[in-house]
Amino acid sequence: MDQPKVTRTVTVANRSGIHLRAALTVFNLMRAFPAKVEIVMDRQRAMADDILQMTTLGAMPGQELILEATGPDAEAALDALALLFAAGFHEEDA
Amino acid sequence: MKKLQGIAVSPGVVIGEAMVMDTEGFRIPRRFVARDTVEYELERLHQAVSAASEEIAHNRDAVSSELGEEYGRIFEAHLQILQGVQLRDEIEELIRERHYSPEYAVCRVMRRYAEVFQKVQSRNVGDIADIEKRLLRQLLGRRREELSRLTSPVLVLAHNLTPSETANLDRRFVRGFVTEVGGPGSHTAIVAAALEIPAVVGTGPFLNEVSGGDLVIIDGDKGLVILHPDEEAIARYRHEADELRSMAVRLEVLRDLPAVTSDGARVELMGNIEFPYEVDHCVDRGADGVGLYRTEFLYLGDDREPDEEDHFRAYSRVVRSMGNKPVTIRTFDLGADKVPSLPGPEDERNPALGQRSIRLSLRHVPMFRKQLRAILRASALGDVRIMFPLVSTILELRQAKMILADVMEDLEEHGVAYSRDLLVGIMVEVPSVVMMIDHFVEEVDFLSIGTNDLIQYTLAVDRSNKDVVWLYNASDPAVLKLIDRTIRAAQAAKRKAVAVNLCGQMSGSAVYTMLLLGMGMRQLSVPPSVIPEIKKVCRSVTIQECEAVARHALTLENARDVTSYLKGELKKRVPEFGT
Repeated sequence: MDQPKVTRTVTVANRSGIHLRAALTVFNLMRAFPAKVEIVMDRQRAMADDILQMTTLGAMPGQELILEATGPDAEAALDALALLFAAGFHEEDA
Repeated sequence: MKKLQGIAVSPGVVIGEAMVMDTEGFRIPRRFVARDTVEYELERLHQAVSAASEEIAHNRDAVSSELGEEYGRIFEAHLQILQGVQLRDEIEELIRERHYSPEYAVCRVMRRYAEVFQKVQSRNVGDIADIEKRLLRQLLGRRREELSRLTSPVLVLAHNLTPSETANLDRRFVRGFVTEVGGPGSHTAIVAAALEIPAVVGTGPFLNEVSGGDLVIIDGDKGLVILHPDEEAIARYRHEADELRSMAVRLEVLRDLPAVTSDGARVELMGNIEFPYEVDHCVDRGADGVGLYRTEFLYLGDDREPDEEDHFRAYSRVVRSMGNKPVTIRTFDLGADKVPSLPGPEDERNPALGQRSIRLSLRHVPMFRKQLRAILRASALGDVRIMFPLVSTILELRQAKMILADVMEDLEEHGVAYSRDLLVGIMVEVPSVVMMIDHFVEEVDFLSIGTNDLIQYTLAVDRSNKDVVWLYNASDPAVLKLIDRTIRAAQAAKRKAVAVNLCGQMSGSAVYTMLLLGMGMRQLSVPPSVIPEIKKVCRSVTIQECEAVARHALTLENARDVTSYLKGELKKRVPEFGT
């Protein structure tokens, strides 16, 4: 943890929380960034490049999450992620 | 060597190779691997992961091009999960540190995720199961054998067996069963008895301690299971198995002789069956009929309710095979929880006392009528009798008979053949019926005492609960008095003679034969495999001796005294059966 850590608070805005497909959307977005991003919910943590961990959080609509990023492009990664959360993972259906 | 004590539910002794089933019905060949093969097992895991990944990628592409990318995405998610570092680390750790087999490790890890998902994202539980199955299929490859695809004899060891698993098993190769849970009367017990193979249930957890291919001994007489037996135990049980075989050969000569006591009283020995093919066992043993034909198997397994033709096919096979000998068909005797096509029970905290059996038939009349129509149609082919289970009040009996009369009228109108004189009876298995038995005998043609449930309801013991099963005992004087009272009432019926049969495990045990004959029973319905044994007892005793035995047994005050007295008397008359 020598590198500077960037954090951001986001809210789960889609209708059914972070399920597998939503986690995949996050995962795919994170591929474009070299930064290491973790999602923190209460005392649980999940890597934003691990679908299983993200789904296991069980984050439901309205849940507040803290995003923590380190490494190159950390700021840009969080900007993109925050947009994705705000857009409800671009889900059209439930 | 390790000995496990369970509940003996189907007699006999067998030594053989274990086949271990996990809770989802997959065959997990081995649970642990040797230290020096860990690297090899890890390599197997990696290969399975890459093969499964390829399969998923292929599915993703196929689905995406056919239905659009949106639909392929779920497979993309599966693929990324499978390739995720965390999942692989967790599985590898179990193999490396705990020496689990890759199959077992995959099960453990994926089941844990499935549990978490159940709580937090239940819509994705199926995805986890899907990934697990895919990995297991890769790992097991051609070695993946289900109960329906066996190629060599095995002893099946499982946590529990579902009706559909046992229905599909290959009867040629299964030589014995052990389940961790269950009691007498559990599905495994019934199927094992039907297959005439040894079975022990309710051993408690042990599947972690055994791997596929291990040598196991099942002692279905004592309820013992021996894992990794030493040479002495193997020799002893080989000897015992030989003895049993030669005893069976000696009893074989009785096949064509009637069950007559040495002073000339004829006893009708009938077979209990569940599956139509068991009728052949009855014919082979020279049974005087089928005393109890359970029809539940028709409702289990499939997702749809059996139609009239399904019923009729099964019944007519049995009736035709028995020629003009009686076949007593018992109507539906399960709870709604067991039947996929019925709405699940809403408020069933106590299924044994809930809406099951005749109660359910009277509630779902169209289903009941379907079965009655098929039974009536089969009655045109032979001597068919119909029996209602779990009746507890006289009004239920009347209601069931009314529906039966209605179905008869219907057949009449349509010119469908059936027997108008078909005999109608009830199972006596609820104490309330025994208390009111003098009313019942005026409204039925026969009674059949179902001791399994009668004991359970009289002594308030769940026979599938291993902590209280020791209280469950056919020798209990309270049970004997209920049986005695039932027989007396049937003999005293005013309208016409009412025959009494006794089915249930009690009738199949030679220990009780003298007692039952002495109390006045002249019909017994037993598992086909024990017909020769019971016949041997009948032919070795006089009614007078039996009556003296019954008189004395009915004065005793506890089950243990009754059992030891009956065993002593049996040994005096038939020394070979003394234990």
